[in-house]
Amino acid sequence: MSAASLLALLAVGAVVGLDLVSVPQAMLSRPLVAGFLGGAVAGRPLAGLAIGALLELFAFETLPVGAARYPDWGPAACAAGALAALRGGWDATWMVGVMVVALVAAWLGGLTMHLARRLTAAQVRRREAAIEAGDPRALMALQLGGTARDALRAAALTAFTFLLGERVARAVEAGWRAPRPLADIAVIGTALGVAVWSAWRLYGQRPSRRWLAAGAVAGTAVLGALAW
Amino acid sequence: MVARSAIPGFALAVARLFTIQAAWTYERMLGIGFGFVAEPMLRGLRRDGDGSAFRRAVARQSRYFNAHPYFASLAVGAAVRAELDGVQPEKIERLRSALVGPLGSLGDRLIWAGWLPACAAIGLLLVALSAGAWAVVAFLVLYNVAHVWLRIWGLKAGWRSGVSVAGALATPGLQRALEIVAPVAAFLVGAALVSVLAWVPAGGRWETLAGAAAALLFAGLVRAIQPRATGMVVAGGVLAAVLAVGVLW
Repeated sequence: MSAASLLALLAVGAVVGLDLVSVPQAMLSRPLVAGFLGGAVAGRPLAGLAIGALLELFAFETLPVGAARYPDWGPAACAAGALAALRGGWDATWMVGVMVVALVAAWLGGLTMHLARRLTAAQVRRREAAIEAGDPRALMALQLGGTARDALRAAALTAFTFLLGERVARAVEAGWRAPRPLADIAVIGTALGVAVWSAWRLYGQRPSRRWLAAGAVAGTAVLGALAW
Repeated sequence: MVARSAIPGFALAVARLFTIQAAWTYERMLGIGFGFVAEPMLRGLRRDGDGSAFRRAVARQSRYFNAHPYFASLAVGAAVRAELDGVQPEKIERLRSALVGPLGSLGDRLIWAGWLPACAAIGLLLVALSAGAWAVVAFLVLYNVAHVWLRIWGLKAGWRSGVSVAGALATPGLQRALEIVAPVAAFLVGAALVSVLAWVPAGGRWETLAGAAAALLFAGLVRAIQPRATGMVVAGGVLAAVLAVGVLW
């Protein structure tokens, strides 16, 4: 990947990272979107979409609720999308490596967001007197500072995921000796398994449970139609 | 009293609503962002006296507040309305405190557990149906029509209602949406999760069946070890183990 493309990837990673909490919460940070955008930067948006859709299944598990610490999927999925695009087509042995790094990066994203919030809190304490005096400039400075910290955090996370992910994926692809379907089954099994568990937790109570089951039946019909 | 039809600083306040969480902290939560959004709407108070009323109002609106970020606009509209109507500061602070729980709960149920999973499921269904980039476009457009509408509606409804904002939460449309969003999301998520198997990449029928079986087994494993670890952490461990097995085979 050229330096210009890498810079573009970091910029897109920063945007999707900002989207999660700071601005504008338009769900650009969802893996489905971020993976697609990362793939687009690397020239193959649909390759990015494929891994983005898989990571989206993991993202069903966590709801971005208030003070809870939740994973930051955007930068991780953006970098993973670019890595999938670099590989060209689907190769589960490559994807196993990318997904392991993306999962770690998403978890680290939650941790770094917590740290960024603590830095913002320190800035708020420093400007306490101005805030209590109702100075709009203090509010503006805090908003801009929080946004800048979040953008830098997200860009760094994108770079981490991309650089480490590429090394890990190349090493795994070169060293893989087991039957290749094992990688396919592990990737789809874990991603879909987390989504199934999350769906049950969210909608496993009455009356939603029957709708979940009805949806599964309808999905089976769709699957059958596609298969035949 | 100010005219109820005109919302001062409306366009700037709407633009700022999208940044309401930019300075989120554990102490004030959305407080700083709340004050930042309210500030352009409060500028009318600058004209009164030495501007101290404006500064006191901005300071008050920057204190602790927490709610779902989209529904926070309702509280901003109501609190600013109350400030401009000259409502006592203690009453305004009670109003803000009273809105924290209901607006948080409403947003969690309607958006995080309903509308977002429903839209994501539609996106995944479209990916399974090979819609490609249209899956992403459909997800973003569908989700954000409701998202943007809610932010603007909230600001307007809060402004119209002032301290009587509780009435806005009882709007029939909102109550109806709460009733139907969970079943709709459950149906779409159920359909999407099965359809996902259609694009098990490079997989034949046996890989698809094995993927489905592995997913059910894995879901059972995650359920069994809750709440000691999240599914994501368990998945990371399992994939790392598979990676090691694949290389050391």
